Amino acid sequence: MSEFVLRTEKLTKRFGGLIAVDKLSFNLAGGRLHAIIGPNGAGKTTFFNLISGLLTSDGGRVFFHEHEITGLKPHQISRLGIKRTLQIKSVFPQLSVADNLWVTGFAGQRFLNPFRAASRDRGAHEKVERALEQIGLTTLAQRQAGTLSYGDVALLEIGMALISEPRLLLLDEPTCGMSPAETERAVTKIQELARVIDIIIIEHDMEVVFEIADDITVMAQGAILASGSPEKIAADASVREAYLGREEDEDYVEEDAHA
Amino acid sequence: MTSAAAINRVLLAVFTAFMLSVPWSVPALINSFWVSVIAEILIWSLLAASVNLLFGYVGLLSFGQALYFGCGMYGVAIGISDFGLSFWPAFGLGILAAMAMAMVTGIFAVRLTWHYFAIITVVFSLIFYFLALTNKWLTGGDDGINFTLPSTFSFGGTHWSFTDPTFQYFFILGAVSFCFWLMHRLIGSPLGKAFLAIRDNDVRASLIGLNVYLLRLIAFVIAGFLAGVAGALFAFFGRYASATYMFYHVSGEAVVWAIVGGAGTLFGPIVGTSIFIVVREIVSTHWEHHSLIVGVVAILVVIFAPKGIVGLWHERLTRLTERGMAPPVETELRTEP
Repeated sequence: MSEFVLRTEKLTKRFGGLIAVDKLSFNLAGGRLHAIIGPNGAGKTTFFNLISGLLTSDGGRVFFHEHEITGLKPHQISRLGIKRTLQIKSVFPQLSVADNLWVTGFAGQRFLNPFRAASRDRGAHEKVERALEQIGLTTLAQRQAGTLSYGDVALLEIGMALISEPRLLLLDEPTCGMSPAETERAVTKIQELARVIDIIIIEHDMEVVFEIADDITVMAQGAILASGSPEKIAADASVREAYLGREEDEDYVEEDAHA
Repeated sequence: MTSAAAINRVLLAVFTAFMLSVPWSVPALINSFWVSVIAEILIWSLLAASVNLLFGYVGLLSFGQALYFGCGMYGVAIGISDFGLSFWPAFGLGILAAMAMAMVTGIFAVRLTWHYFAIITVVFSLIFYFLALTNKWLTGGDDGINFTLPSTFSFGGTHWSFTDPTFQYFFILGAVSFCFWLMHRLIGSPLGKAFLAIRDNDVRASLIGLNVYLLRLIAFVIAGFLAGVAGALFAFFGRYASATYMFYHVSGEAVVWAIVGGAGTLFGPIVGTSIFIVVREIVSTHWEHHSLIVGVVAILVVIFAPKGIVGLWHERLTRLTERGMAPPVETELRTEP
């Protein structure tokens, strides 16, 4: 298979003197759930920001299904089917849960009808209902999103990703701050999604990463340190060094790798 | 919830009935001068609505809406006195001038947000204010342009025009109601929901595929339309246009009206504008420092009712009716599968 879902060529981003992403060449084959891990400041989120157009790169190119998307605006990239969640949970706080999903569902359209009542659109309404059921927030549909618990906001974010019918989904620490029960629920959801959508996930929770990922890429200082199957990564000496420079983390990763 | 909606519907019906009866009830109760005060309130509430559309629904605080109000005024005045247009073409010219100005300035302004946006709108407002002031050959400067009022409708020998105060009132009421109805439709439409999404979280809005820049520009031009209609009506109402109404002072007042009334609510601008103009009309004859009251009320509302008077009303009403209705339902209860 020669076509990659996502391919970057020497992608670079500098913040002043700091090189956040350093000539990163990354290939994502289709049909696999890919996790990116790495210590804080490794450039993982910056990498997502470059792909989704929130930041413009200082060098290098990005291809989505071999179609160059370097330098496109966030909404243009989103309309091609690359959707993402943000590390700090980010929804529309003053809109209801249902409206959050609703607005996400039609946002890709070129023409937003100003003369038709939104509530009359049956098709959209059913789509919202279905998404609500899938994420289990039906009972909270009319609640303001800003008043939801943290875990519910995270679920809503996943719902928003779902309803936008993505071709590639970038999840930035989706389970961060969740309770164990919520994490389990979110992980199940993500695994379900991964069967139909290509997903890249940034995650700090090693238990989650080794449970769901087909492939893992380890980033450090803006570059790829290692990439491969979970088994290979767990055994990789350079990864251990990058991660386990700090003593207290050592047991943690070892334990998880064998879990 | 339903009883709150019912109360609001009754209020709206009473309000509508009152507005329709103004030309007869107000002279009977007070005097006929207040009919024109109410007509003026309607016009200014439309300017406040244009601030509200931008600030309450898109999250852009404009301190320059008077510029588009002024364009509406001058479009009408210049159309009539220089081009000899009749009522409707002059009305159209005023609205078009305001929208065109909003388009041109908006292209630059909506690249910015928050205080930068507020500053650039003031700057544009000032630039065109001074241009209007100095180019006397076109605008009449401080003196403005006076014009003779053309008739609005004529069938055969009968004419209806603003010289008839009752016709004038109902024309203004009709035009303003139409604009508020349009805004109501807009807010409930897909475009309106996209505006709300941008107000709430513009980064997220761009990530779900909304063209934030374009949508803000569209909102800016629609706000220009509302301000333009207000300005055109005000020109007909006063039979003149003047650069004084383009000053940012006027914009600032509209911002205060919208925020005190309740930004992000449809009727907020009407409530805010009514309160301030009524206070001004009553107090200014007795006390020259009436703007002190304006300041105090504005500060109190911003501190104690951040969503304005209408926002406070909605909040209280829902709390009251929910308490009165049934035993509190455990809304927080959820089962974790």
